[in-house]
Amino acid sequence: MVRKEIRIDIEKCTGCRHCELFCSLKHSEEGVVNPKLSRIRIYSDFDQEISLPIISGPYTDAKCTSRYNIIMGEKEYESCLLCRAACPIRPFFFEPGTEVPLKCDLCGEPPDPSCVKWCVHGALKLVEVEVEEGEESA
Amino acid sequence: MNGWTGKVLRIDLSEKRHVIEDLDEDLARDYLGGRGLATKILYDEIDPKIDAFNPDNKLIVASGPLTGTGAIAACRAVVVSKSPLGNIGCANVGGNLGSEIKYAGYDLIIFEGKASEPTYLVIEDEKIEYLSAEALWGKDCYETDDILRRKIGDPWKAKEYSIACIGPVGEKGTNIASVIIDKHNAAARGGMGSVMGSKNLKAVVVKGTKGVRVADREAFIKAATEVLEHVKQSHASVESFPKFGSPSVVHIYNEVGMLGTRNFQTGVFEQAEEIGGEALAKKHLRKIRACLTCLQSCGGILKATDPRFMVTSERPEFETVWVFGADCGNSNSSAILKAHDLCNQYGMDTIGVGNTIAMCMEMFEKGFLKEKDIGFSLKFGDPEAMVRLVEMTGKQEGFGKEVIKGGYHVSHKYNHPELFVGAKKLEAPAYDPRVCQAQGLNLATAARGACHNKGYTMGSEIFGLPSLGGKTDPFVTEGKAQLTKNIQDATCVFDDTGTCLFLILGLWATEIHKQLLPATGVDYSFDEMITCGERTWMIERMFNIKAGLTGKDDNLSPRMLKEPMPEGPGKGRVNRLHEMLPEYYKVRGWDENGVPTEAKLKELGMRW
Repeated sequence: MVRKEIRIDIEKCTGCRHCELFCSLKHSEEGVVNPKLSRIRIYSDFDQEISLPIISGPYTDAKCTSRYNIIMGEKEYESCLLCRAACPIRPFFFEPGTEVPLKCDLCGEPPDPSCVKWCVHGALKLVEVEVEEGEESA
Repeated sequence: MNGWTGKVLRIDLSEKRHVIEDLDEDLARDYLGGRGLATKILYDEIDPKIDAFNPDNKLIVASGPLTGTGAIAACRAVVVSKSPLGNIGCANVGGNLGSEIKYAGYDLIIFEGKASEPTYLVIEDEKIEYLSAEALWGKDCYETDDILRRKIGDPWKAKEYSIACIGPVGEKGTNIASVIIDKHNAAARGGMGSVMGSKNLKAVVVKGTKGVRVADREAFIKAATEVLEHVKQSHASVESFPKFGSPSVVHIYNEVGMLGTRNFQTGVFEQAEEIGGEALAKKHLRKIRACLTCLQSCGGILKATDPRFMVTSERPEFETVWVFGADCGNSNSSAILKAHDLCNQYGMDTIGVGNTIAMCMEMFEKGFLKEKDIGFSLKFGDPEAMVRLVEMTGKQEGFGKEVIKGGYHVSHKYNHPELFVGAKKLEAPAYDPRVCQAQGLNLATAARGACHNKGYTMGSEIFGLPSLGGKTDPFVTEGKAQLTKNIQDATCVFDDTGTCLFLILGLWATEIHKQLLPATGVDYSFDEMITCGERTWMIERMFNIKAGLTGKDDNLSPRMLKEPMPEGPGKGRVNRLHEMLPEYYKVRGWDENGVPTEAKLKELGMRW
């Protein structure tokens, strides 16, 4: 069985955030561009030399009680930086006012993610992944 | 409104009060936004003769109707005010400020009056806070940004804001003071930082949560996608600029012999290869960075390698690499990074600082400036002396106190005004107009002074871009008046809509036009859109004339007009401005003194 997923290559992300703008526009019937309502957010930090695309995933109503660091290549990342959760300690992946969590839906079925279309430098790619029976949906 | 937010935030710093007004839709329609709209408002609301530091001067930060919509490379804003140089000041900047202002609900912000003590503002949609900046006054732009983000508390939340601030240079009313946005972007030229400082305004912190609406979502996505595909055809936009930044063009200008070297004593720098984009990338590049909605990614993170100049700096722009490289006769790229970083840290214009230092190097080598004036030896090709003087300029110590007043001031103070290379007191950028005739016309006529970004004629004379009129012979003056006007007017459209001009190798006004209707809902014809650009140019001219400038100020330095280029493809040439200017006045609809005629104003629907 195959499933479609967005593969993220963090080295290629330039932090242009075009994905954020078009994700928000795609999900706005009223035609409003608002990256703060995007289901993909780019965490860019000059001093840490990183640009991390984070795509919204599960919802949680409480922060994790433990922290850990993730080592990728030569760098170490604090767990919260890479986390996809709509979590109360971060100011995104929620609709302001209602606090309804915003979740990535791959822009519908079949998957046709806007963010991937707008990523020129290849940080986001839609790929097919083999999965076990019963694990088709993310 | 769509594209535009339809609202203007007017802030009275003296009374710590503000008002949210409706955007005048007729004005928006005629001037588009950004540079044109801000200048028109300033023209209407202040006496252009007043001193830049008079509290009656106003500082306007304006985005364009495309800023923050997702239109290609449309993230720009402008900072407009009466400049300490005596003319209209207009500084263009990328990064996040322009979009954040739009998302907060404003097309532009007008700062009026003067705060009674050092102040900073926090703007969150309609909520405006006036806070004391006593503890920040005197601090540089990096410290200020760090402190203000720490004040927000949560580092995640802090990233949601854009911070515009001035360094100690802007606080003291000097000419070359910039407004620095988020540490790495600069509204650099014309002393806009000093105007902010004169209002006791240390920083503006902005966050917007409303977003901005486009008129027709599907049509806009379609148009923006088409424009993106168009830009992707350009090798420069998808290959050279991301890899090498805007310094990727260093070798091009060196090959045609117009890379201003050693204060424009020549146009060829024998060590150009060591300071070009490829060399910088190979030696220093850690990561590529882009502004909002831009694929061209001129930015980056670069780490110096020379232990004397250790720094991790934003990737410098072509002009910065040129000015601290060829213009100062310097081939040490780490020193260029250090000088660049110091300018961002202290909040100063790299072209202004570097051009002035290059001139001082020539004056020193010729004995017009002595070691006792500067404090040390200042020769071309001495990276340590160059960086030392940049730092002294930021700290306003010793001879740095002279440099920060700009090249025009220093050249006069030490009795060699002919050595200043610039126009309307603004220091000139890299392009030697003895080799490119039309660029000389542009540098001489741009309202804010010698500025290539007001009319990038090299697009035709060197690059032969079909969109700019195809290839023209850089050495001839015939036809250049019309060519220059066309490029200048179209460029205004970039600055009015909030589109980054650096995309010039990938897109032009036609591509902006494609996105304009679906974003705004206003069905401008292409010509109507260009006419908005023509009005922008005109209103800047009218401001300057009321400020007291005349046709005599449409001029270039003696070196450009009288000293033949000593080497390279342009050897033996000078700029023949006098051959182009009369016809330029005609095509602009100005009289023989360069004053807009009543007939032309009427045609554009404008009046004094």
